[in-house]
Amino acid sequence: MRMYFWAIKVFKMFNRGNKIKLFAFLVCLSFMIPIHVFAYTPAEIDINNPEHQARIEEGQKLFKANCAACHKVDQKLTGPALAGVWSNWDSQEDLVHWVHNSQEVIASGNAHANKIYNEFNKMMMPPFGQLCAEQVVSIMEFYVQSEELGLKPGGGAAAATPNATVSADNGSSSNSGSNKWILIAAIGALALMAFALISITSKLEKIVDVKIEEREAAEKEAKKKGTGKKIVSILIIFGLVTLGYTVVKGAIDLGHSQGYEPEQPIKFSHALHAGQNKIDCQYCHSGAEKSRHAVIPSVAVCMNCHKYVQQGPKYGKSEIAKIYQYSGWDPEASAFVNAPKPIEWVKIHNLPDHVYFNHSQHVKVGGIECQTCHGKVEEMETVKQFAPLSMGWCINCHRQTDVQFANNDYYSIFQKYHDEIKKGERASVKVKDIGGTECAKCHY
Amino acid sequence: MSNNKYWQDLEQKEETELYKELSSKEFKDEVTTTFDYVEEGAKVESTGRREFLKMMGFGVSAAVVATSCKTPVRKSIPYVFDLDKDSRIPELVPGVADYFASSYAEGGDFASILVKTRENRPIKIEGNPNAPFTKGGTTARMQASVLSLYDVARIVQPRKKGESITWEQADNEISSKLDSIAAAGGKIVVLGNTNYSLVTQKALQTFQTKYPTTEVITYDPVSVYAIRKANKISLGSAIIPTYLFDKAKVIAGFNCDFLGTWVNTTENARRYAARRVPTKENPTMSRHYQFQSNVTITGSTADYKYPIKPSQEKMVLIALYNKIASALGTSTLGNVSANDFDEGINKLSKELLANKGESIVVSGTNNVDIQLLTNAINGLLGNYGSTIDTGNPLNFKQGNDEALKALADDTSVKAILMLGANPVYDTPFSEKFKSIISKAALSVSFAERLDETAELVQYITPDNHYLESWDVLEPKKGYISFAQPTINQLFKTRQVAESLMNFAGAPTTARNLTETVGQTFTSNVPLNLGNTSWESALQAGFVNNTNSDVSGSIDVGATVAAIDTKLPKTDGLELIIYESVSIAEGKQANNPFLLELPDPITKVSWDNVISLPYSYAVSNGIKAMEQHSSVPTGKVTVNGKEIILPVVISYGQAPDTIAIALGFGRNEGFGPAVYGAGENVYPYVSFDKDSITYTSVGATYETLKEKKTIALTQRYHTLQEDNNLPGRPKRYRSTIVKEANLSQYQANDKAGNEDREQIQKHLTTLYKGFDTPGHHWSMVVDMNACIGCNACVIACNVENNVPVVGRKEASNSRTMHWMRIDRYYSGNPDNPDVTFQPMMCQHCDNAPCENVCPVNATSHSSEGLNQMAYNRCIGTKYCANNCPFKVRRFNWYDYQGNDAFGAWNDHTDAKYMFSDLTRMILNPDVTVRSRGVMEKCTFCVQRIQEGKLHAKAEGRPLKDGEIKPACQTACPTGAITFGDRNDENSEVHKIFFESGRNYHIYEEQHFLPNVGYQVKIRNKDEKPQFTFEAKEVIG
Repeated sequence: MRMYFWAIKVFKMFNRGNKIKLFAFLVCLSFMIPIHVFAYTPAEIDINNPEHQARIEEGQKLFKANCAACHKVDQKLTGPALAGVWSNWDSQEDLVHWVHNSQEVIASGNAHANKIYNEFNKMMMPPFGQLCAEQVVSIMEFYVQSEELGLKPGGGAAAATPNATVSADNGSSSNSGSNKWILIAAIGALALMAFALISITSKLEKIVDVKIEEREAAEKEAKKKGTGKKIVSILIIFGLVTLGYTVVKGAIDLGHSQGYEPEQPIKFSHALHAGQNKIDCQYCHSGAEKSRHAVIPSVAVCMNCHKYVQQGPKYGKSEIAKIYQYSGWDPEASAFVNAPKPIEWVKIHNLPDHVYFNHSQHVKVGGIECQTCHGKVEEMETVKQFAPLSMGWCINCHRQTDVQFANNDYYSIFQKYHDEIKKGERASVKVKDIGGTECAKCHY
Repeated sequence: MSNNKYWQDLEQKEETELYKELSSKEFKDEVTTTFDYVEEGAKVESTGRREFLKMMGFGVSAAVVATSCKTPVRKSIPYVFDLDKDSRIPELVPGVADYFASSYAEGGDFASILVKTRENRPIKIEGNPNAPFTKGGTTARMQASVLSLYDVARIVQPRKKGESITWEQADNEISSKLDSIAAAGGKIVVLGNTNYSLVTQKALQTFQTKYPTTEVITYDPVSVYAIRKANKISLGSAIIPTYLFDKAKVIAGFNCDFLGTWVNTTENARRYAARRVPTKENPTMSRHYQFQSNVTITGSTADYKYPIKPSQEKMVLIALYNKIASALGTSTLGNVSANDFDEGINKLSKELLANKGESIVVSGTNNVDIQLLTNAINGLLGNYGSTIDTGNPLNFKQGNDEALKALADDTSVKAILMLGANPVYDTPFSEKFKSIISKAALSVSFAERLDETAELVQYITPDNHYLESWDVLEPKKGYISFAQPTINQLFKTRQVAESLMNFAGAPTTARNLTETVGQTFTSNVPLNLGNTSWESALQAGFVNNTNSDVSGSIDVGATVAAIDTKLPKTDGLELIIYESVSIAEGKQANNPFLLELPDPITKVSWDNVISLPYSYAVSNGIKAMEQHSSVPTGKVTVNGKEIILPVVISYGQAPDTIAIALGFGRNEGFGPAVYGAGENVYPYVSFDKDSITYTSVGATYETLKEKKTIALTQRYHTLQEDNNLPGRPKRYRSTIVKEANLSQYQANDKAGNEDREQIQKHLTTLYKGFDTPGHHWSMVVDMNACIGCNACVIACNVENNVPVVGRKEASNSRTMHWMRIDRYYSGNPDNPDVTFQPMMCQHCDNAPCENVCPVNATSHSSEGLNQMAYNRCIGTKYCANNCPFKVRRFNWYDYQGNDAFGAWNDHTDAKYMFSDLTRMILNPDVTVRSRGVMEKCTFCVQRIQEGKLHAKAEGRPLKDGEIKPACQTACPTGAITFGDRNDENSEVHKIFFESGRNYHIYEEQHFLPNVGYQVKIRNKDEKPQFTFEAKEVIG
């Protein structure tokens, strides 16, 4: 049953996706035609060549570190999509020059450079002088091209997504016919069972009515004998234990709100931004490495990209329009026209006032993944509280987690532990060994 | 007979029953719960069965209601930037503090400071450690000043006769009135207290150019005009020189509180302390003589003290001058006998002569003859150019008493503008100024609050708080210190300079003015990080163009010739009006932190009192404090004016004198915290010949029948010297204070501390102790460097969200201060030795509090900290009862008003700390404690954690001195050192394990405190009255 409905949903989703992709592809194609005159030919990738594989990997790393904040391969972000970037430039040198110092290229009067510059509201691409020409080529030609062609090291082009969808569709549609019959059969069985049960109970009721007098007499006798007392006291004890357990458990859970998933003023999807678009968590939550607060980004951060990304895949323009309302941006006029308003996000992860928690301690020093405490946010459509955020949960982690002991000079003062590790008496240093379970580490 | 060698008051000295009872209890037991808490005088009912059931019923139902409530939805609202306008979005990381360099200037106080802001709101003042003269030092007033920013009594917008008006209206009406007055040639007076703000001065120039009939008159509530006037004669210019206390081997102070309230106190304190701490390598220290009428912290820190009546000061100085002059073979000043003080004068003159060019004689008395005498003595001793630097004069207190007097008598004033001045309150000419204001065609005040003068004027154009202002200050010639706003204006106020420019028809912003003025000084500033020289200077906070050489010369002949040797008459009791360390002139009198700060000497908070000398109290049978905090009241009459105040006894005050502090007795508009506290004694200040004088003769005193309850903090939290406990072996002494004299110390660096070795040998324990694998935090307090200024106490309050409890609660033994400065006397009660001992949680490694807690709310950390988990505490108070140092504080109420049941506090005095405005001062890194839990000093664990985190994030070992608790950073004299005892290169390690002076209080009881005290060394020829002979006790 479930399978059936899910399959239809998935099918519909992909269908819609295809249309958009197709449309986008056509639009891109139409754009490419007149520009093509400038194009130069990029390096040809042989995916089985380990040298090329290494360059793709290098390009990917560099892309994530330097470019991903503003660029995507297949989509326009703050900057243009990089797919087929070589087709816009006369030569490799020009492209590299642009990356090194875009301002110079614009000043030199390069037609494409000026076009891009004007297209993106005269927003300057910052110079990336630290990348050598070869690294730029690794990014632009090897990594971007491999992404575009869907090349994965080790096995040519990966199976195209639409094919996979089709096969999944086939599977589910072939099952759908038999499912229907199973459903009807099940409903029939249930109806039969219900009928049987009703008849049985009515019969039993009749029997009970007859026996009730007899039973009362028996009870009186049992009371005389004292067996009832035992049962009652056992029941009372059992009841009390249950009650106590419930009360204690309830009391412990007071204030814990695991699974809390409030509705937010904007239907912001982490699944889309962090999952699909792979935007780094700290691009928006920039405090995580620096401060006790991870920081909810101001609308200014949203606008870095959403000046250009005006439509989303799920809600279309409606949710992004809310950002424009808050920021005072007019997409038609491409300008801030109104006074900005604060976005009142609902806070999900709440710690009591008497708890001090510091993100940078965990993210920067401890090297803990965001997901360890926040769950797979990149898969959440709406964010919910993943962990209980209870003291027991904190302490448990502090007992089990190893400190980054060897590679941080701060810990050099713990001579005793270093000696023990050297002698082999100690495998690792847990957070609790350096006082991680003491009161004043979190309560002050 | 008493066995106490050190005592805080007479009861303790004589070990009366009252003392025994009070000191044996941690809490005053008459009042314990809210339900007993009734208005004074009403019948106190005990908690009966019915009452108990009511409470229980309420408690259960409240709990049920509370638990069934839906968890509140909390919002997380990011910052809003106007993206169109803010081309540069500020680099603000929520949760990380930003520090801005600024300056504090008020009266005799000045320091270049760093303002700590969190999420753009100033929450703490730190001294600027790079500033060349103050080097990070602060005073209590500076530390508290951040709360004055969030004062509910501030005026929120311009007013005309009590009605709110707009700035536009104020500007228009005032300028047009000024225009017409100036056109008619009418006299315009700008009456101000001293300001060395170059920005305000520039605005004043513009104002004067526009209105040429303007006269600018400056006065100071507590004046030092006589110094400037005397220096005009002696040095040729009316300056105040810089006194280099660090270069003086002998210091002689005459009624001069140069460490607490005089001028340039922060720099003075630092320089003074630099030569007051003997070490093993350099076992020398300066010797300090103090001739004083009233007991001050400066006098208490002195080695030799001589109580003199105010009328005797001139006589003593003439006698001293004569001694020195005759020794040097110059002419003397007539034949004056100062028989009573011969001993002291002889001793002092000998030492001054032996240290020519290395001594300082200084007087704080505002009398030209006295100042001329000190100048002449310093001149004879060749101190000018060596310890007295006239090349770098101070710009503090430029008030002109004679001009003030002339203005008060001037009937032709047509317009008067009060530039930070409050003449109706703080001058001897209150009535005259009232009439000037009522007759003037225009009267304007720039007051921040509705003070005594502001409530009489036509227009109030409120000034910004200094933390909202731009400024360029020149406290010392050549030393330029900048001020920048650390928060947007909270209210519709405007900086004075801006208002003056507007009135002068040349509107500009204070920022523009500051940049114009400031940039003239910044041409040589080294640039940093792509900033302009102006931005770099502003970031550093100061530009130092002072002379590095010490210079100065004096015309002794002219000085001596100008001295009038006629001695003042003395008659009956003499009244001394003085500035207290907390309230000083009274500018910040509505600051609850300062009001609750006990006076370092009288230990009274929330009031000013009549201090009587011990001898007078004994001979007149005045028994101060027969009850817990109830004291007799007294009536003082001088020149027909009467004042009634509570009475306390002061030890070491000159015989037949009465001392009362300034700054109290405010009007209602000044603020709710101070309103009703104490009495105003400015009316007793008088104008004498050419200067304002703060003493009077011919006072009478009468004890009244009424008693008054005052917030006297010395009767509780008293440490016990219990070495006379029955059955206790005489082997040990239970020591609180240890002291020795300098020669003893030079002979043996363990002087006064000889028994420590023996004690340590005898220590045994059943506990196995704590392992400290990483850090072991420890603190060292040097009682030689401590001057009792209380800056640390306020710094601690601000840093740790320590609440103000109010007068009633304070009188009920419930102050919440995590840190206090105990003041111990020893010896002759007419002139005892004084020791200041900062006392805070000792973080014992063998803590008595830890093992009595039934819920393990207080426990020991692997870093040597005694931790307090507030949310775990159930308020049994066992720990407080078991703490021998009496440093644990219980929250009897929700003093910060942070929870829903805050209404219970309605009957406490703490209401003014309750508004959202005042709560803006709270440090977000420290929990606000709720009612019913215990709290205490944490060694600023939030700073420890932050420091460790920085080191971890940078992957490097922690540096010594990187983590400093609030008390350490606030201290102007470096009396407190904090660090990791496990780090062998740390200062604390060295002192703990190598200094012969280091000891622990109650060491023989094996608490193993992590706070060490340094034996107090006095530079006296005589041994301390209670020199400890080791063999006498150990055996």
